[in-house]
Amino acid sequence: MLNIQLNGEARQVDSAQDLASLVQAQGVKQTQVALVLNGELVPRHRWPHIHIQDNDNLELFSAVAGG
Amino acid sequence: MLADKDFIRYSRQILLPECGEAGQQKLMQSRVAVIGVGGLGCQVAQLLAAAGIGELWLFDHDMVELSNLPRQLLFSEADIGQSKARVAADLLSRRYGTAVRALGKLDDASINLLDDIHWVVDCSDNFATRHLLASFCYTQQKTLVSGAIAAFEGLLFLQAASGASSVKSGCYHCLFPKDTESAKRCASQGVLGSAVAAIAALQAQMIQQLILDMPLPSGRLQRFDFRHFRWHEARVPADPHCAVCATRGETDPC
Repeated sequence: MLNIQLNGEARQVDSAQDLASLVQAQGVKQTQVALVLNGELVPRHRWPHIHIQDNDNLELFSAVAGG
Repeated sequence: MLADKDFIRYSRQILLPECGEAGQQKLMQSRVAVIGVGGLGCQVAQLLAAAGIGELWLFDHDMVELSNLPRQLLFSEADIGQSKARVAADLLSRRYGTAVRALGKLDDASINLLDDIHWVVDCSDNFATRHLLASFCYTQQKTLVSGAIAAFEGLLFLQAASGASSVKSGCYHCLFPKDTESAKRCASQGVLGSAVAAIAALQAQMIQQLILDMPLPSGRLQRFDFRHFRWHEARVPADPHCAVCATRGETDPC
């Protein structure tokens, strides 16, 4: 198991998990959210190719367009 | 040279060494487009008009509704049913003496009006408009200050005219590509007017600092989580697959 931070909260995740499956596990629609990994935005098309590392800091947030 | 009355009127701005009389003249010679005259747009337009921005162009085709009034502070009950852009333009020009144009919906046809604009502030309420605008601004080398708000989430993103920096940073489409859908909208999720005003004030501040030649980092997402009162900043790198800013021939990152 890996120890990560997700939106400021400590979490444990499977070591084989990629970013796409992590987002899916949160029950949110991929096209409605954005993901920041260790301070850098990760384009959605890269999520399946990036595997979570120990101590990663992730921020998952809604795509907002309101004005 | 500023007129004596303007010197007194804008004295608190002129006192800032970064502004001074020359800076105030820059503000007064600037032409800014505000896309969307809702919660964000009302605040942005008022702050810019009060600061002495020379010309404002307001794009919005919506009419004032009762549910707008808690956060769209340029409107009153007497304005319900009237054009937001028209009401805002009349009020701002009367109160601040600013030259304000009321324009309709921003679409494929009207977007070319922005050719004559120096600075663009995105205060719209949907991704279709945001994507159209960001793509145009990238192609036409206009600086775009994008703000968005819904529920307790506020976003701020600067898409500088490319070439301003030697390091290529991401554009709005790198942040939210074309197939992005809105999870949160003010109409469905709700929002407090004060949160809207906070993001709008930052947009207005950003535009004025850019006009005053104060460099600001482009390609960085500023996100304010109002629920926990926490700022988050993220780098938005240029995406080699971006439909708008990717350079042909770049290698596949995957």
